[in-house]
Amino acid sequence: MRVYTGQDFFIKMENVNAKNVEEVKLLEDQIKHLQAEVANLQEQQKNHRDHTLYFSEQMQQALSHVRGQTPPGSAEEVLSCLKKEVEQLEEDLQRQSQMNGINLNSCTTHSLERSSTKLVQQMCISGHCSGLEFQIEFQISEVKEGDQSEKTIKSLNVVMDASDLANFSSFLSGVKENSDLLLFFRTLRTFSDRIDERRRTFQHFQAKYPTLVSLPEGHGSEVMTLHHPELPGCMLLVDWPVEVSKEGGVTPKVHLLTKIPDRAQQLFPSEALGGAGEAFHSLLRLLGPEAALECIIREVGLLQDS
Amino acid sequence: MEAPKGVLSHLCTLEVRARSRNAQPAQRSRVKELRARVEALTAQRDLLRADLRTYKDIEKRRRRLDDACAGGEEEEGMDSEDAEKSQLLQLMARQTQLTALLHAHQVIGGYDVVSTRQGKGVCVTLATAFEGTYLDSFKLEMDLRPTLRISRHNVPPFISLSQHGDSQADARGFLDALSTRLNAFAGRKQQLKLVKELHKSVRVMESNLLCSILVLMLTQTTAKTAVLCTMDYLDQQRCLPTSVRFHSQDEELPDCPEWKNNCSLLMETPLHRALTTMKDMGHIV
Repeated sequence: MRVYTGQDFFIKMENVNAKNVEEVKLLEDQIKHLQAEVANLQEQQKNHRDHTLYFSEQMQQALSHVRGQTPPGSAEEVLSCLKKEVEQLEEDLQRQSQMNGINLNSCTTHSLERSSTKLVQQMCISGHCSGLEFQIEFQISEVKEGDQSEKTIKSLNVVMDASDLANFSSFLSGVKENSDLLLFFRTLRTFSDRIDERRRTFQHFQAKYPTLVSLPEGHGSEVMTLHHPELPGCMLLVDWPVEVSKEGGVTPKVHLLTKIPDRAQQLFPSEALGGAGEAFHSLLRLLGPEAALECIIREVGLLQDS
Repeated sequence: MEAPKGVLSHLCTLEVRARSRNAQPAQRSRVKELRARVEALTAQRDLLRADLRTYKDIEKRRRRLDDACAGGEEEEGMDSEDAEKSQLLQLMARQTQLTALLHAHQVIGGYDVVSTRQGKGVCVTLATAFEGTYLDSFKLEMDLRPTLRISRHNVPPFISLSQHGDSQADARGFLDALSTRLNAFAGRKQQLKLVKELHKSVRVMESNLLCSILVLMLTQTTAKTAVLCTMDYLDQQRCLPTSVRFHSQDEELPDCPEWKNNCSLLMETPLHRALTTMKDMGHIV
């Protein structure tokens, strides 16, 4: 026969308390562990912020769908909304590429510093401008001071195909020194326009007079040679360099050079040959490059005026 | 003596139950609270994990898209159990790629063209910059058909908008020429601003809105003679002067080799830097 004493009462109370205390401790440990996991994951998410911070409405909806947060059966709607956005963006990109005369292949951005007043990003862009390929890398900072904001570029680096670089190198070194990103692209575009004009003109004449005209350096040739097939060794060279100044000024020049073997010069001394280069310049001024070249080619080919 | 023991024990049990019921709510509610917290954190963690997987997936697809665009070989589609989910993720990757490329066009100084009036017109933005600093941008609205005609703009009146040569000239040719002029103007203006900020010892005597003429008062170091420097920027497409002249009470100064050098310097280097060099060389204060 037991008598319940105060001690028994306390023991029972303690048992209940102990169970609760144990559970509480277990839960508190679990919470600490989860909080650490969450903090870790949030830290990892920061690495992806550059790509996810400015998600459009359609992208937000798509993300919700992937998470399983959108109503079931809405997959088709979400897909078609996003498809529409992608189509509009593709159209827009076409329009920009055409108007800017530049085709971009890729652009990657990494944030180096991000605060409420300052954003510093590293950008890496690659593309081509009418066959001239480039890869550029730079740091872009945007600093907000009151309602004014200043955007600056620094540490600009440009990589281009060596064969395109010939006339470009002093300009490029100036651009890198001064981080002149916009000047680089304006000049690249103008340069490629002048190169295209040269290529079109040369190819036009090669197609029209295949026996007389040849392009020793291929499509992008700076030089067009003219010679009559029955006069070996005698050649007229049309040199059409496109020079780029350090300031970004693009200057195409057209010169005519003669290459006549000494023997021929001895046998047929002619003043005409000596002054050919200057005479050509006068012709250029009067007729423009295409018509002037046409004239010269016809003379070389001893062609009758049709 | 059983009856009293039975009653006592019963009373004791009741008391324990009563006490523990009073004590437990505080503890039980704490347990409930903690359990709810664990559930919430677990849900948050699972969501973060899933999102991270999604972002990594999208980025992997994006890298493949970038490689393909650069002429790399198209690899086989990514393995994914869910074809529908894969399609959605692929679209998401494409969206991020296109958004990035459009942003890049803007950053490199593109015209940011917007089609208006069902394609009959466009609205463009002309960005200006000088040596890595972005400056003002200007907007222009043009009709493209039947001929190129500007309808609205906020280009300053002293910058010429006329189209040289063929009025049928393509929009880009016209814009390229205008952009060159605007950038040259912005460059000249920025150089003047930098001179005023960095070279307080140099006095700006005269300048104009177009920044095509600039007269500065320099002070020669040794004799402290005043040297008037007149710069003409007659080529609207350039931000460097076309002529530089010095005037001084010391008539021989402009002809001495030092100052002839300074003349070339000012013709070839942006103004603020040229003045710094002149200071470093000890020619001016």
